[in-house]
Amino acid sequence: MVNSPELSASQYIGLLLEIQEKALTEVETSVAPAEDLINKLLRGKSEFAHFSQQIRSIPASDRQRVGATLNEVKQSIIAAITNKTSTSKKTDAPWFDVTAPGIRPPIGHLHLVTQTIMEVTRIFERIGFTRVRHPEVDWDWYPFESLNMPPNHPARDEWETFFIEYPGKPGKNQKKQRIVLTPHTSNGQVREMEKGKLPIRMINIAKCYRRQEDVSHTAMFHQFEGLYVDKNVSIGELKGVMDFFFKQFYGPDRSSRIRPFHFQFTEPSFEVDVSCGACHGQGCRLCKEGWLELGGAGMIHPVVLRNGGIDPDVYNGFAFGWGIERVAIMKTQGINDNRNVYSNDVRLLEQF
Amino acid sequence: MNILVPDSWLREYLETKATPKQIKEYLSLCGPSVERINEVNGDIVYDIEITTNRPDSMSVSGIAREAAAILPRFGIPANLINDPYSYKGSALLKLLNSATKVDPSQKNKLIVTTDPDLNPRWTSIVFDKVTIKPSPMWLQKKLELTGIRPLNNVIDITNYLMRAYGQPAHAFDYSLIGTKNGIPTMTLRASRKAEKLITLDGKSHSLPGGDIVIEDGSDRLIDLCGIMGGENSAIKDNTTQVILFLQTYDPVRIRKTSMALAHRTQSSGLFEKDLDTELVLPTFVRGIELMQELTGGSIASDLTDIYPKSYKPYVVSVKLQKISDYIGIKLSNEELIGLLTALGINSSVKANALSAVIPSWRRDITIDVDLIEEIARLYGYHNIIPRLPDKEPPSTLPPKNLQLEESLKIRLRDWGYTETYTYSMISDKLMEIFSLDKQKTYKISNPFSDEWVYMRPSLIPSLLTVLEQNLHFCEMPKLFELSMVYKYQNDNLPLEQSTLLVVSTGDAFYELKGLAETILGLFGVLFPKQLPDQMNSWLEKTKQLNLGKFGWLGAAETRLLNQLGIKKPVSILELNTDELILDKKTAAIYQPIPKYPPSYEDLAFVLPEQTPIGPLINELRKADGLISDITLLDAFSNTRTLHVTYLSSEKNLASEEIRPIREKLIKLAQKRFGAKLKAA
Repeated sequence: MVNSPELSASQYIGLLLEIQEKALTEVETSVAPAEDLINKLLRGKSEFAHFSQQIRSIPASDRQRVGATLNEVKQSIIAAITNKTSTSKKTDAPWFDVTAPGIRPPIGHLHLVTQTIMEVTRIFERIGFTRVRHPEVDWDWYPFESLNMPPNHPARDEWETFFIEYPGKPGKNQKKQRIVLTPHTSNGQVREMEKGKLPIRMINIAKCYRRQEDVSHTAMFHQFEGLYVDKNVSIGELKGVMDFFFKQFYGPDRSSRIRPFHFQFTEPSFEVDVSCGACHGQGCRLCKEGWLELGGAGMIHPVVLRNGGIDPDVYNGFAFGWGIERVAIMKTQGINDNRNVYSNDVRLLEQF
Repeated sequence: MNILVPDSWLREYLETKATPKQIKEYLSLCGPSVERINEVNGDIVYDIEITTNRPDSMSVSGIAREAAAILPRFGIPANLINDPYSYKGSALLKLLNSATKVDPSQKNKLIVTTDPDLNPRWTSIVFDKVTIKPSPMWLQKKLELTGIRPLNNVIDITNYLMRAYGQPAHAFDYSLIGTKNGIPTMTLRASRKAEKLITLDGKSHSLPGGDIVIEDGSDRLIDLCGIMGGENSAIKDNTTQVILFLQTYDPVRIRKTSMALAHRTQSSGLFEKDLDTELVLPTFVRGIELMQELTGGSIASDLTDIYPKSYKPYVVSVKLQKISDYIGIKLSNEELIGLLTALGINSSVKANALSAVIPSWRRDITIDVDLIEEIARLYGYHNIIPRLPDKEPPSTLPPKNLQLEESLKIRLRDWGYTETYTYSMISDKLMEIFSLDKQKTYKISNPFSDEWVYMRPSLIPSLLTVLEQNLHFCEMPKLFELSMVYKYQNDNLPLEQSTLLVVSTGDAFYELKGLAETILGLFGVLFPKQLPDQMNSWLEKTKQLNLGKFGWLGAAETRLLNQLGIKKPVSILELNTDELILDKKTAAIYQPIPKYPPSYEDLAFVLPEQTPIGPLINELRKADGLISDITLLDAFSNTRTLHVTYLSSEKNLASEEIRPIREKLIKLAQKRFGAKLKAA
C-alpha cells in the first residue's frame, strides 16, 4: 500500500502503472463476473480508488497531466474486463455452425398443365361457371354430328381425328356407331345440355387428341370449353366474359377482341385474339400486329341447342374452346416448343 | 383454306383509295382474315384465310365484294367494279354471234348426256384453230403470284378463271374424245366400283364407286369430274381443237371421292363446298373471250348449257328484337337494310322482322342467326360493348371428384412428389412387356406413331418409362400422375377411371404404404384389414399389398425393371381415386376434446422370428378401453418398441391405474404372439 503524503508526478505515475499491472493480471486470471471485478479493482476500497484520491497531493502544475494518465489506466482496466467477459461467453456455450444448410420441407411440383387448369377454374368460378368433366373417348356423334357436322362434312377436316376400333359390334343406335378420341372439348356441349338443367355456365376441361405433333401441336393436349346458356344472351356478354378471363389471367393491362370466323356449331363464330403482352399492341416479332391468336368462340348454333334438347327460340348462348397449353405458354416465357410441355423431364418440371 | 390475292388484281374489281395495310386490317376485323401481306418482286400479295362456308370469297372478285362492303364502314369509299354477276346475257349473244359465220354443217358437234343430281349445271363449247403456246406475261404473272405454275395458254386460262371467280374450269382436246356414230360423245355418270382411270398427272386410280365421271363414245373414262381430267383427253402441245368446260357438281360426292382416293386438288377443294350455279355462265363468257384473245381459237360449236333447275332466290327473316339482343344496340331499319345492301343482299322490314332475299352466291345464309352474323360483323364486333352477364348464375354444385383430385395433387406436391403428364396412348411394345390384354384394350385404328396405339389400361407402363428417362440425370425421382385409365367395356365406350400412380425410386415400400394410409385416412376410408391375396405380377411377390378396390402397392418386379432398363429398385402405389371418392365420408363428426391429458409409455418386446407386427399392434390396441393408441416406435433385430398412449375421458390416470393395463398387454403379447417384455 502506498501512502506517502508527498509524491512527485513521476513517482505517482510509476506507482499507478504498478497498480495497473496488478489489476490486469487479476482480470486475466479471475473467473468473477465483470461487475464484481469492477467493484473490486476500481471502486470503493480498491487500491486504485484510494490512490486516485491522492492526486490532490500532486503539484497543481502537473495535476492535469497525471489526471490524464490516471484516466487512461482506468479505461484500460475497464476495457480488459469487458473484453474478457465477452470472449468468455463464446467459449462457454457449445460450438454451433449456423452456416450449415437448413432442413427444408419436401418440395414437389405440380405440372404446368395442372397449375393452369387450377387457375382457369378459379377465374371462371368467380363468375359462376362450374368445372365439369366429359369423356375423352366418345361417340363421334358428340364431337361432330351433335355439333352440326354430319359425316363427310368438309368442316371435319379441321380436326385430325383419331378413331378407335369398335369394341364389339355397333348396335342400331345411330349416335353410337363410331368411337373417337375427342379432338376438342366441344363434345361436352350437348352432353352438358343433356343433363337438362338450365341455365348453364360450364367449364369443361379435358384431354383432347389430334393426329399431329410438331412445334406448336402435340397429339395429346388439353382444352377448356366454356358453355353459357340462358335467355337473351348477347355477343357483348361473350366479350365481357372473355375480357374478364384475360385480365384475370394475363393482367389488367391486356385486352381482347373477336373477329369473324366460321364453325359449324356456332353462329356467328369468332376468332379470339388477346393483346400482346410484350409490345402492348404496338406489334413485335412475337405477335401479329399487336395481337395473339388464342382460339375460337361463338354464339351456339340453334341446331346444337336443339340436339341438346333446348328450344333455340327461348334460349341461346355462347361457347368457347381454348387450349390450356396455349394460354399457359403465352404466359410462361421461354417454352418455345409445345412438345416440351409433355417431355416429363424432371429438370423442366422442377421449374414450375 | 388460304388464298393469295395480288393487290393489283384485286383493284381490277375494287375501286378504292384504301392502302394495303388498311385493307388487311379492316377485312380482318369484319370479314376474311388477311393473315399477312407478302411482297413478291414489287407486287403486294394478300394471304387470306377463307372459312369453308364461304366459297364465294375464294377468289379475287369474291374478296373485292367483301372489301367493297367493309371499307366504307371505316370511312373509306370503295366500290365493286366488273362484278361478274352484272354480266348480261347480251355479252354472250355477241360472242356467239361471232360464231354464226361458221357453216352449220361444219360445226364441231358434241353429244352430251348428264345427270342433274350429280351435275346441276353443264356448260361447254368447242373451239378450233387453237394454237397452244405460252400465255402473255400479264397472265403468267397473275398465276404465279397466286401460286400456280403457268403451263400454256389454254390451261392458264382455266386457272385464271378459277382464281378470278372461284369457279374451276377444264379443257379437253376435242379430237381425243371418243365418238359414237362418228360424233364425239360425253356421258356424265356415277362410276362403278373398281373402274380404272389415269388422271393427267399420270396417277392411276381404281375408283371406289359412286364417283362422278365422264365416259366418252369409246367407253373410256376421260374425266374424274371436279378433281382432275383424264390423261387420255388432256391438252397437248399440238392440240388445235379445245372443249372449254365449266360445271358444278354434287359437293358430297366430290368430297367422298377426293378423300377416298386421297387426291385433293384446288378444284376439288372448291367443288366440295357447293359452288354457285349462277356464276358458271358469267365465268364462261370471260373464258370464251380469253380463248379468242389468247389462243387464236374461234368458236366452232353451239353453246351447251344444261341447267334444269335454275336458282330461285329465297327469303330468310330475323326478328328485330333478336338482332338487338345479339349486338346489344338497336339499329334503325335503314341501318340494317344498308348493311345488307352493301353485301348485295336486298332486304325489307315488316312486322318487327327483317326479311332478306338471299342471292345465289350466299346460300350459306339459311337461318336467322346467319343474317345476324352478317349484320353484326359489318356493324363491327369491335363496336359491341363487352359486359359481364348480370343474370342469376345457376346453383350448380361443383363435382366432388374434381375438387378432391385437386387437393390430392396439392398434398402430393407438398409431400415432395413431382407431377407428370404422360400420353394416354401406349405402344404395342409396352403392351407386350406388361402382358396387357390387347383384345380388351381400346386400339387406335389410325395411329400417328407406333408409340401411341393403345389407350392405356394402366398408368404403370407410362410412368415407369418416364422414370427410366429421368434416371439418367436425376438420382432418386419421386413422381406421380393422376390421370384416366381406360377400362374395356364390351359394345361401349371405355370406363374412364381416374387413377393415382406414385412411383418412388429406391426401397420405398413403407414410404408408399404410409402414403396410402394417410391418403385413405384423409378420405375417411379405413385401411382395408382383410387384404385379398390375389397377386399383382408387376410387383415382387413378397413385397406387395393388395388394397382391394382401392389399389395396390409394392416393389416393382426386378425382371420388369430390367426390361425397361431401370437399374434401381422402384416402389409403386396405385390408387383408384374414383373408389376413394365414392367411399369418402361426407362430413367430419366432432369428437369432444379430452378433458384430461394422456399418459405415455414405451414397451419393448422381443418377438419370435418373422412375427408380423401389424396384427400384434391391432390386438393390443383392442385390449383395453383406456388405450387410445399404440404405434411402432422402433424396430431393431427381434426387438419392437411400442409407444402406448393411455387416456381416460373421466380422470387423470394414476400409475396404479395404468399398471394393470400394462400387465394385460404384456400377458396378451406373450400368450398370442410369444412376445417377451424386454427388461428395462
